[in-house]
Amino acid sequence: MTVPGKEAELLTRVVSGDRDAFDAVMRNHEDRVFSVCLRILGDREKALDATQETFLTVFRKAGQFQGRSAVGTWIYRIAVNTCYDQLRRAKRRPSESLPEHVDPSDPSAEEAIESAALRPEIEAALAELPPDFRNAVVLSDLEGLSLPEAAEILGVPIGTVKSRVFRGRRLLAKQLGNQIDQ
Amino acid sequence: MHDHPLDLIAAFADGSLSDEAEARALVESCPECREEYRTQTEVIGWLAATPTAEMTDLEKAALHRDLWTEFRRQPGKSPATPWWQRLAYVAAGLFVTVGLVSVLNNDTLNGGADSGANTTADGAFDAPTEETPFVAQGSDDGESAPEMTTETTAAATATTAAAGAGREESFALPFAELAEEARANQADRALTEGTDRDVEACLARVALDEHVVVDEIDLDQIYLLVMPADPEAEPIVTFVVLPRCEIVYVG
Repeated sequence: MTVPGKEAELLTRVVSGDRDAFDAVMRNHEDRVFSVCLRILGDREKALDATQETFLTVFRKAGQFQGRSAVGTWIYRIAVNTCYDQLRRAKRRPSESLPEHVDPSDPSAEEAIESAALRPEIEAALAELPPDFRNAVVLSDLEGLSLPEAAEILGVPIGTVKSRVFRGRRLLAKQLGNQIDQ
Repeated sequence: MHDHPLDLIAAFADGSLSDEAEARALVESCPECREEYRTQTEVIGWLAATPTAEMTDLEKAALHRDLWTEFRRQPGKSPATPWWQRLAYVAAGLFVTVGLVSVLNNDTLNGGADSGANTTADGAFDAPTEETPFVAQGSDDGESAPEMTTETTAAATATTAAAGAGREESFALPFAELAEEARANQADRALTEGTDRDVEACLARVALDEHVVVDEIDLDQIYLLVMPADPEAEPIVTFVVLPRCEIVYVG
């Protein structure tokens, strides 16, 4: 775990072209970024693409980080925006698909994919949520971020995030209830 | 009509209230509040039971490989060097190279003798090695002299173009890679509709008014990636720096 001030220093070194510093920043946050992207996009391949795009943006925009938030918060905000862009480009509901480059001989692959998978009905219900509600629920309830952190990442007031989380849960429950009835 | 604050009940369900007395009383006395509490608690439980998703080892390796492919022309592991120092090293390196060539030519003409040129055993010129990512460092770090010369030239080009206007990029962009990426995404050229007036005026000033901005990189200054508006035209990518409105790369 990297101390916040230390991370900001790493980012300053990234601006100067320090590859080791960028490598450290990436390794500190790649798992969480991937997890957020997977929950928002619901597709492993798309999540991997979004993860790569996120870190490319981090690299290019490192000079714009002003230290008003934690580096992690700034990075996750980029990740959420990247996912938004992907959803806009795709213009369709996220759907689960088989990862193309999963190596059958990779012993960790199947376990990782299965353990990360939501129950199908929850996955489907999450996909039905409006993006704003989905992102709030993902950050708060799936990723375990605090409401202030989620608010900072989403760029909205805490009250707005709180409302989106609460309403998102209600919609999820309603959607799941409908699925059960069917 | 139910008018109890359901958001209060939801906050009670996820344990985020500092004072739970009011919410607890509502849940105990109000059926709708109780139902809201049950719903929120149930969903929280379902979602909390899911572990954090992780990439497989193979996926991580592919991610790192793909990212570093994008960055392969970036400065190496050496610490940052001030722009003026990098420029000085580049100029020194070019000066020594020119001088060396000149001396060797003279030696050849005069029948050869040790010219006393300041070179290392493998022929790379003697230049600072630890803090200058743009100067040939010899073969011990795996870089071949011709490759480093190309990088040096590219860096010098990027450096000099900006230095001419009295400013200096503090970050060497991978112009060639970014240009390649822009060409690969040519289909997105239409995204540039509605370019603002300042950018239009800038493009006209550098004779790129038949072009469109396909991407924008925001560092210490703004780099516009510009391509011909006509999709049938040769996909040359031009980098224009704002607000100087200066072309810094064409490729």
